[in-house]
Amino acid sequence: MRTKLGVLVAGLGLVCLAVPVVAHHGFDTEYDAKKKVSLTGVVTKVEWTNPHMRVYIDVKDASGKVTNWNLEMTGPNHVRRQGWRPKDLLPGTEVNFEGYAGKVDETRGSLARIAKVAEPDRPLFSQGGPDADTIPK
Amino acid sequence: MRKLLVVSITMIGLTVTLLGQSQAQGQDRVRSIPVGGSPLVPERLVNGPVPRLPDGKPDLTGPWVGGGSNADIERDGGLKPGELPLLPWAKELRDKRKEQDEPYVACLPMSVPRSNPYPWKFAMTYTSKGLTHIYLLHELGDAGAHRVVYMDGRKHPDDVFPTWWGHSIGRWEGDTLVIDTVGYNDKFWFDSRGTPHTEQLHTIERWTRLNYGTLVNEFTLDDPGTFSRPVQLKFTAKLLRPDLDDLMEDICNENNQAGIAGGYKLNSESK
Repeated sequence: MRTKLGVLVAGLGLVCLAVPVVAHHGFDTEYDAKKKVSLTGVVTKVEWTNPHMRVYIDVKDASGKVTNWNLEMTGPNHVRRQGWRPKDLLPGTEVNFEGYAGKVDETRGSLARIAKVAEPDRPLFSQGGPDADTIPK
Repeated sequence: MRKLLVVSITMIGLTVTLLGQSQAQGQDRVRSIPVGGSPLVPERLVNGPVPRLPDGKPDLTGPWVGGGSNADIERDGGLKPGELPLLPWAKELRDKRKEQDEPYVACLPMSVPRSNPYPWKFAMTYTSKGLTHIYLLHELGDAGAHRVVYMDGRKHPDDVFPTWWGHSIGRWEGDTLVIDTVGYNDKFWFDSRGTPHTEQLHTIERWTRLNYGTLVNEFTLDDPGTFSRPVQLKFTAKLLRPDLDDLMEDICNENNQAGIAGGYKLNSESK
């Protein structure tokens, strides 16, 4: 039992490691960890800009009203170094995404996971992009 | 059973260690896409020999990741909570400051000894007179203001003008690059916690490349306007994965929307 508990604790720790700490500013000053969202929408724009990338996604609610989410990521250089390029997510793509809402402006969120609806098990912009092996060595 | 228990404890230890490194590399508990930050040199290469320049000195070029304070200079520099000997006014100011007010978030320079999770490098400038200047270039965090270290034997001026990066003079002590800096302004923070300083700040960095992948910064922090005595800190930088490109373009003010989602204005303290 004790062994299982140890493995469980270690496993939880490793899961926590999936939460990165690579930012120009802190999370808690802007985003609410208690307001996690999981939505589906259509990408309208991807900004590969400094100091942070942003992905804009139109989300339609049950009444048909469309809201454009503005979701912040880490810096584009980190993402480029992992082998991701602009062609990997283009406007018009339908995506599932998870994120945390803004404390004051809720639809300005922090993007935690994004994947094409057509490839739900292949998250984008996470470690080891499709061009990771083609980066000059 | 006992074997499994040992494996479990080892995994916990590894987890805590990696988590600690992760925290040291970043600023805060940011919940975002797990990108992995700046990829570092593989462990199998870290202990390799120190490359040397044609003049025999160790090659400190990098690019490096880390090697300074970020979230909390007291913790990042190896001190225990409360060990930083802040004068009462400085402690009061640090406790009062809010992270969103720090100049760095508004794309102003981090200054010394700050380092964020992005790579930086020493750029050696050789002329007919030898190594005359070293520039410290940060991918993000210098706001375009290069830091220069004079290696030509000059002294600090008597009437040094306070600036973000101060006036730095360097020299070699064996294989260690020693950088002595005065003339800082009092505008930057040492960390996102808000640790302050005055224009009396005097820093001494002692940079030693221990092996292929590790660079140590033995750091003396002296500011009688802020601390009751000089403080000795230690920071460690790791080499960026060597097969990656050099520093990349990073124009911080291009699209800085920090603060809007939280309903605050950037750098409000300085207004």
